[in-house]
Amino acid sequence: MTKTGNRIGRIGINVFMFAVSLSCIFPLIWMLYSSLKTEREFSLNIMSLPTKPQFQNYIDAFEIGKMGSYFWNSAFVSFFTVIFTILFGFFTAYILARFKFPFRNVIYFMFLTGMLIPIHGLLIPIFIEFKALGLLNKQITLIFPYVAFNLSMAIFLFENFIKTVPLDVEEAACIDGSSSTRTVLSIVFPLCLPVISTAIILFFLGAWNEFPFALVLIESADLRTLPIGLTNFNGQYTANYTQMLAAMAIVVLPVIIVYLAFAKKVMQGMTAGAVKG
Amino acid sequence: MNDSTAIRPKRTTFLIYLLPSVILFAFMVLVPVILAVRYSFFKWSGGPKMDFIGLDNYMTLLTDSLFWNAFLNNLLIVFFSVFGQIGIAFVISIFLMSKVVKLKGFHRTVIFIPVVLSSVVIGFLWGMIYNQDAGMLNWFLQTVGLESWIRPWLDDPKIVMYSVTVPIVWQYIGFYLIIFLAAMQSINNEVYEMAELDGATGFKKMRFITLPLLSSTIKIAIMLCIAGNMKAFDSIFVMTGGGPGSSSTVMAQYAYDTSFKAYKLGYGSTISVGIMVLSVGLIIISQLIGGKNRD
Repeated sequence: MTKTGNRIGRIGINVFMFAVSLSCIFPLIWMLYSSLKTEREFSLNIMSLPTKPQFQNYIDAFEIGKMGSYFWNSAFVSFFTVIFTILFGFFTAYILARFKFPFRNVIYFMFLTGMLIPIHGLLIPIFIEFKALGLLNKQITLIFPYVAFNLSMAIFLFENFIKTVPLDVEEAACIDGSSSTRTVLSIVFPLCLPVISTAIILFFLGAWNEFPFALVLIESADLRTLPIGLTNFNGQYTANYTQMLAAMAIVVLPVIIVYLAFAKKVMQGMTAGAVKG
Repeated sequence: MNDSTAIRPKRTTFLIYLLPSVILFAFMVLVPVILAVRYSFFKWSGGPKMDFIGLDNYMTLLTDSLFWNAFLNNLLIVFFSVFGQIGIAFVISIFLMSKVVKLKGFHRTVIFIPVVLSSVVIGFLWGMIYNQDAGMLNWFLQTVGLESWIRPWLDDPKIVMYSVTVPIVWQYIGFYLIIFLAAMQSINNEVYEMAELDGATGFKKMRFITLPLLSSTIKIAIMLCIAGNMKAFDSIFVMTGGGPGSSSTVMAQYAYDTSFKAYKLGYGSTISVGIMVLSVGLIIISQLIGGKNRD
């Protein structure tokens, strides 16, 4: 009696888990195969597989929907966000981890509280600030807030890690006459690569997917990033679902590829702030 | 902090290492906070004309039913997220830690996928799922013979908040799942073995060992959940734009509409201050309650 009960429980739990997994992946699979259908085919049956897969929707998304330009803008902003966050964050974290100096704790605390500040409250003041400074609507506009908002996390992660790196090698190198910049770059930086790679993924995904600041700070159609391009795409082609699905796939595919290649790293990166170690 | 003098860089180098982050952070976080407070005292539509009106904006905010309605919408999302995201993630993580479930790696990888996706895409996808005429959900209900359940999911002001909350809850279950799995894996197995010797079964082990040992992780999760959902915006903006009417307007959406559609930048700043105060306040309150419960 209990044995069959156990077995039913086991099967039930496994079925439940598959249902959860399916709900997470099916909308994506549906999006991908539907993007290969023609608009007519889609309107006849929204669930059916494409009878003859075709890539016209993707061609249209690039040619009519300007997805190429949005893609380039997103890549540009994400790339420089990652570079500057790592660069600024790493050197600041190094100083905070290694030395005592006046205001050290004030600066450290300032970055730490940065993680709790609700950045959506900064949307309008940053718009006002950028307007006054003439910084709206430039190719580099979004890099400023993205880097700044990532710095807290970067410094938190790097500072924790650098503290665990032993001092001896650095000291030896410096006594041998290596300049401090050279020592940091050739000795400390390589040792931090595990945490840096985690951070790269985290910051890349954040910048690639960011929406509200891109919405508010960029007006010019030529400078829009992918998420904003998508909302604009919808306005232009309200009725054309399959083109829209192709455009969505263009936004999502690079992320999925990165994720499937580095699943463990991505999970680590995204949850880095909440999980110790 | 070892503060070795041997490796201490020259003064200039030291400052070049330290200052870019500090300056950028001050310029993008501290200055805007100050600006928001300053402009919240003005009537200003973005042009050269700015009128100082003292606390008028704050008086308006206190009685602005649209703002408080938006705040309640945020609270609703927070409520369902704390129970939905954290609750479901907790249950799933217990299943994934047990010996019963097969293909654990597959489930973990797949459930985390929505976390990495752009919430704009999530919004559009669920917009299509909810679509009244050509949506997957109504298609499904019709196929299984539940025609009476068919609804205009995003066009009915009574249910629209629940409709837009589901994708938000759904998207981040994987996030909390990974946090819980990491915490559970760090629990020493001997604790469970001891309990088993004492006759503890599955549910009892969860209730008396896993749950208490995870309490600090759960507290962090709740804090992240509140912080994350007070800024809910992207997917709702895409699905409904806050409508119909203002029935699915959240605080960020209201600040956006006020500032960029009605061009009230002064009042928009006041709303921004309100968002910051309410979000931080809620996080602090949740931590206080959590702290009391534990003692």
